[in-house]
Amino acid sequence: MSDYTFFPAWREQSLGRRVFLRVSAASAASVALIAAGCSDSTPEPVTSDPNLLTLPSGDSGLLYYAYLLSLAQTTLYQKAVDVPPSDFTATDRSVFADLRDHAIVHRELFRYFIDPAGTAVLFPTDFVFNLTSFTLTSRAGVLAAAQQIADLAAAAFPVLLTLFTASGTSQRLMMLKAGSVVSRQAAAIRDLLTPGSFASSNVVDSTGLLITKTPMEVNTALAPYFAPYVISVANLAVPV
Amino acid sequence: MKLISVLDHLAATPTAPEPTPRRALLTKLGRAAAAALPLGLGTAQATTAGTLDSSFDAALQLLQLERLQVALYTQALAAAGLITTAQRPDFERMLAHQTQHAALLQQALQNAGAIVPTVPTFDFSGRHGQSSNPVLFPNVFTSFDDFLALAQQIEDLGVRLYTAHAFNLVYDAVLTRSVLRILPVESQHASHVRSLRRSRGAVVQNWPSEEDAVITRPAAAQVLTTAATGGEETTIQYQSAGVSIPFSTFLTISKGAAIHDPALAESFDEAANTATAQAAMDLFV
Repeated sequence: MSDYTFFPAWREQSLGRRVFLRVSAASAASVALIAAGCSDSTPEPVTSDPNLLTLPSGDSGLLYYAYLLSLAQTTLYQKAVDVPPSDFTATDRSVFADLRDHAIVHRELFRYFIDPAGTAVLFPTDFVFNLTSFTLTSRAGVLAAAQQIADLAAAAFPVLLTLFTASGTSQRLMMLKAGSVVSRQAAAIRDLLTPGSFASSNVVDSTGLLITKTPMEVNTALAPYFAPYVISVANLAVPV
Repeated sequence: MKLISVLDHLAATPTAPEPTPRRALLTKLGRAAAAALPLGLGTAQATTAGTLDSSFDAALQLLQLERLQVALYTQALAAAGLITTAQRPDFERMLAHQTQHAALLQQALQNAGAIVPTVPTFDFSGRHGQSSNPVLFPNVFTSFDDFLALAQQIEDLGVRLYTAHAFNLVYDAVLTRSVLRILPVESQHASHVRSLRRSRGAVVQNWPSEEDAVITRPAAAQVLTTAATGGEETTIQYQSAGVSIPFSTFLTISKGAAIHDPALAESFDEAANTATAQAAMDLFV
């Protein structure tokens, strides 16, 4: 299949059809190559796992990571809007319509930051956030799934925000402003599922700070839902 | 904590004719803040710092915000019959968080050698402790709905003030990481208060929305509304100075990304103007 448009940064390279996002396979690989005295023109080894999607390093990788989180949210919220469980209340429907809209704004903003022209295909066309393991036929099931994903997204932002380079400050500010709304969403969902469970000890530690998750931890939590694809965040900056 | 280095930075800015020994500057700023206590941080600080966006001013203003929130919930929980038994745990939790945030900020300032002002007396009627002054916020501790409306505005203000200052603490990475973890807790508080109000019939969403019913305040208290939600309606965001993000080009039906009109502004919490936030907080001291 040749029907993918590659992100311009590595469009020229001839890659296996599903090996996108691999700018920074460069990181590990080229460090090794340079250490070995190889020139830049040395062909890079092609990863052997066709389902491995390695996020690039630097701010771009952080944007991909945020995009994936938003993709998880939009997929789930869209499903709840399209096929609401029969016991969804009017308030539930209204809240989820907004959750969906906000998550789409965030997802598409991050996509715009990655690819301003809007022409690249960032992931294989059959790459999805798979909902089959959730129980989405009851209000409790939808809210439990939504709480799981919203808590994860809220926990990701405080770490993500510390990883941007100096050149990413405007993107960082937008992510700060989006992350705050994601946290509002998490509390809204928590209160719908269990009134008064906002900011509970599951998500706020004993010193009053949000319990956060690193990109590695978030990626591990999301991994089952992206199968058979495997996301690697190994190139992302590591939190201090 | 490295906040103290900020004061070196401050001392080196053009507003100080010569580099000031940092201990002396700290003392000066601390005294200035203390001197302004009756009116919050007020005019004395404005003349020493000009803006409220230095690290020192940011930490001090956030401390003042947390103290305001601590006082609000302390007084509310002490008001007989205001908060139902079922909802007391919610406000006890928020009070516990705010108390922890205040302690963290105070410790950060003290570790930097700053003189932390004493806690002022808060008056949530808006009368500044003078019974002859007009009441700007009636029934705050006798009507649950009036209390919740004020709590919502003060929590929204908190979210927006942290948003304004989150990256102002640039010389103290540890404090920055803490502040980035406090902000989402404030967001959850604000969202919860909004949920409570909605459950009691108010037209309000969990995030500032143009669809929210306006909380009406007298003219003298309007600055609180401006500080809490002013500018939240904006649909213009910037990718760099003067260059706005062309949302209309990618939030489209053809890209599978159509949204309802109010959602774009709802999707981002905006930063409060720090001077407006100060004026709003000064309504209660």
